[in-house]
Amino acid sequence: MRRYISAYFEDEGNLLRAAKDLKENNISIQDVLTPFPVHGLDSILGFKKSLIPTVGFISGAIGTMVAFGFQTWAFTVDYPLFIGGKPHFAIPSFIPITFELTVLFAAFGMVFAFLIRSKLGPGAKKTIHDERITDDHFVIIVDLDESGSQDGKVKDILSKEEAQDIKVKEIEL
Amino acid sequence: MYVSPIREPLIRGQKTYKKITQDIAAPIEGKPGKAWYAGIALTGSALLFGLAMIGYTIWEGIGTWGLNKTIGWGWGITNFVWWIGIGHAGTFISAILLLFRQKWRTSINRSAEAMTLFAVICAGLFPLIHMGRPLLAFFVFPYPNTRGLWVNFNSPLLWDVFAISTYFTVSLLFWYVGLIPDIGTIRDRVKSKLKKWIYGLLSFGWTGSAKHWQRHESISLILAGLAAPLVLSVHSIVSMDFATSVIPGWHTTIFPPYFVSGAIFSGFAMVLTLLIITRKVLNLENYITVGHVESMNKIIIATGSIVGIAYLTELFMAWYSGVEYEQYAFMNRATGPYWWAYWIMMSCNVISPQLLWFKKLRRSLVFTFILSIFINIGMWFERFVIIVTSLHRDYLPSSWEMYKPTIVEVGIFIGTLGLFFTLFLLFIRVFPVIAIAEVKGVLKSSGEKNPKSDKN
Amino acid sequence: MANNYTFTRKTQYWIMSIVGIGILLLIVGYFINTPSRQELWTNILINNLFFLFIALFGGVFQALHKIAYSGWHTALQRIPEALTSFLPIAAALMFLLYFGMHDLYHWSHEGLHDPILEGKAAYLNIPFFFIRMAVYFLGWIGLTYLLRKNSLQQDTISDLRYYRRGKFLAAIFMVFFALSSSAMSWDWIMSIDGHWFSTLFGWFVFIGLFEIGIATIILMISFLKIKGYLEFINKEHIHDMGKYLFAFSIFWMYLWFSQYLLIWYSHIPEETAYFAPRLHDFTILFFTILVLNFVIPFFGLMTRNSKRNLKWLTVMAIVVLCGQWLNIYMLVIPGTIGKTAQIGVVEIGFVCLYLGGFLYVVFSSLAKAPLLSKNDPLLEESFHYET
Repeated sequence: MRRYISAYFEDEGNLLRAAKDLKENNISIQDVLTPFPVHGLDSILGFKKSLIPTVGFISGAIGTMVAFGFQTWAFTVDYPLFIGGKPHFAIPSFIPITFELTVLFAAFGMVFAFLIRSKLGPGAKKTIHDERITDDHFVIIVDLDESGSQDGKVKDILSKEEAQDIKVKEIEL
Repeated sequence: MYVSPIREPLIRGQKTYKKITQDIAAPIEGKPGKAWYAGIALTGSALLFGLAMIGYTIWEGIGTWGLNKTIGWGWGITNFVWWIGIGHAGTFISAILLLFRQKWRTSINRSAEAMTLFAVICAGLFPLIHMGRPLLAFFVFPYPNTRGLWVNFNSPLLWDVFAISTYFTVSLLFWYVGLIPDIGTIRDRVKSKLKKWIYGLLSFGWTGSAKHWQRHESISLILAGLAAPLVLSVHSIVSMDFATSVIPGWHTTIFPPYFVSGAIFSGFAMVLTLLIITRKVLNLENYITVGHVESMNKIIIATGSIVGIAYLTELFMAWYSGVEYEQYAFMNRATGPYWWAYWIMMSCNVISPQLLWFKKLRRSLVFTFILSIFINIGMWFERFVIIVTSLHRDYLPSSWEMYKPTIVEVGIFIGTLGLFFTLFLLFIRVFPVIAIAEVKGVLKSSGEKNPKSDKN
Repeated sequence: MANNYTFTRKTQYWIMSIVGIGILLLIVGYFINTPSRQELWTNILINNLFFLFIALFGGVFQALHKIAYSGWHTALQRIPEALTSFLPIAAALMFLLYFGMHDLYHWSHEGLHDPILEGKAAYLNIPFFFIRMAVYFLGWIGLTYLLRKNSLQQDTISDLRYYRRGKFLAAIFMVFFALSSSAMSWDWIMSIDGHWFSTLFGWFVFIGLFEIGIATIILMISFLKIKGYLEFINKEHIHDMGKYLFAFSIFWMYLWFSQYLLIWYSHIPEETAYFAPRLHDFTILFFTILVLNFVIPFFGLMTRNSKRNLKWLTVMAIVVLCGQWLNIYMLVIPGTIGKTAQIGVVEIGFVCLYLGGFLYVVFSSLAKAPLLSKNDPLLEESFHYET
């Protein structure tokens, strides 16, 4: 059995303070759902830096090599042809396409990384916790232990920050 | 984040988060009014006319156009460059202005980027039709083929293929990634089962989880970082179609940055033309405020002046170079048979935007609207002047010619205008015109302050 | 910490020793291998341009941010203001060229029998050259002086009037600069290779100026921070300066490449004549410039942390400054001295001499006003912002 508590806030200021309080009391926060990115939340929840920029760099570098390598191979090895008095290995000529493919690969790499890591995509099965989350409510979902020893403390912290609809839910595993 | 009180609020009317959602989702939820039907009937018929002319061109051949021996690139390429240019504002707004932390972009980036996509679609049509046999258009991609040939990587026209397809794809990705949370909002609001299913599918299962937001912000920033040089590269490469040649008036090194500046200039003009109407019709005056219009006008004046300096630089260099062909080309532009096109370009692009130095005019919607139309016209003529005047009198005086478009070319152009506006009209019924989540993010810092109920 | 920068004896001593080293190197250079008149004037021109660009950027930095309603820059306002104090001296040094015209500019000779240069004589002639020079400097010095004065007045009286006037002056400066910066680069640099022309040239030089200026401001911040000043400049400011250095190194490369590609591609002899000697006689330098100005800052400043680390950013700024100095060297040298040119004791001596003088002027000016301006309505934003 897994137990958790969910509570709704109307203002991100309350949410931030509540999350900070909970973290300071070593209570694990399962998830926070917000209608827009709340600044400062990442650091309170202790998120590590996203690796998406790294993915972008690597896929971009692959794009660079594919594009430059392919053009070089096609024009110097596979089918060397004189065009407009340019050398076969015409570096300046290859740069525009190389640049474009670098950007293209990096963009695709990052978007796929984002979707896969977040398990988002067409037809992704996600439970919609509450329809107000994408509108004007901030939800915090806090894990509780089975014994219920933390319940009181968590509720205190939440209600101090004017949380509404504080509900304990249980799901059978 | 502190914002100085002397800054104008970006969101007027003391909004709450809920109110923002309601206001922006309203056009999607409500029934379209008479104006919308009238609009789409008009743009739809323009589109149909264009399609008929495209069909005619493909059936009969390029001979139906007014092209001739020296002027092999006429309206088709003019329109192509014009549309690509218009397609530059959207990504400029969402990428470069994001990097420069311009918060006012949040109200206009969504619709401007949609315009980018539609404009690039319109632009892409022209080279396709101009090929004469559009069914063989895939020849431009380097795929292993039975002819054993590769495409010509030395050709700027091929760079264009890569630049524009990359630009379209990356803009689409950028736009869609930004749209995912807002589609989630719409999904949670629509009532009908079918709509809920469709928006659910399109929302990619967005939940608003903090971790997802963190990644979302990170990817938006890096995509912006990538899109910024991409915007510069696209029009630069388009300009290289001309500038790598040895045609006087085309071969000039200032072309890449000058084309980019011109593109942003014309793009902003089109964004203003459309948004001034849209904000009124969709009741979004509190989000797209006069302050937003003023900011865009400032970009217009900056880019317009850069274009002006480029014109002057070209003229000066033509004289300074001492190359008689170069000198003639510019003389011919200003005083030759196409002098009227040159002076339309000069007055619309360089002289008229200077009026925006007056604050009163910058903040006048009527004036801005009229000016934006002038700039659209002026920038169209800029491309016409560059393309036609340089070609119609080249090195060989025996083949000097004049160029006049036929009804078919004009029809195709009208058709793309129809396509562009039709797509935009459909867009405003289907997706939120303003980035809901982003606007909510700046509400606290840049919304109109409510004196009594600021709890925190 | 004190609000004012004190130009200490020790710092003055260091600056004087840079000047001293410069003079020493010049004397040594004179005895090893006496430089020709042409070499002397070329050195003067290169360093004139380099330090003028730094000073000019002070104006550009203020003006650009003012007209863009930027808030973040207001805390470091005083540094660009101090940079512009070198402008009058840069002007004096530039007018010295009157005595070196023949050694630098081929077109200034009489009776050339060169039809191309004769065609340009209406523009390229000595009186008009100096009239234009006077106009540029009048505009730059006048407008930056007014900007500085306005900013100092704002310190004493809290009134939005100064804020508005600052924006107004900034707009005028930008317009004047947009026109004059292109023309200046044609006059002083492009006309060295009298036959050659490129429409992009002015903008290319301008981006170089931008890089030089940003790198200098980074170094100034770094220096003042080490000395314990500027506690109000936080990581976010550093990050923004890093972003500038990074972004404009890419932009510089973009313009460099646009110009090179179009000339390489079209292969018109009149135009390739410019790149041929640069590529063949100065091959190593040619590519070194690209590495210093693009490759190193591009990879060095790609990550977020590298832009926020002031020490690393300082290293990058020095690399870029060297790269940009070499870039100006490359713009000037092949048209004047030609392939025999070398970077030796004399060149370094001149740089030291100029650097010392420049630092002395700028730091004296910096010490005259509080390091943090007051009463700017956007100032508060500069302390609370995140990137």
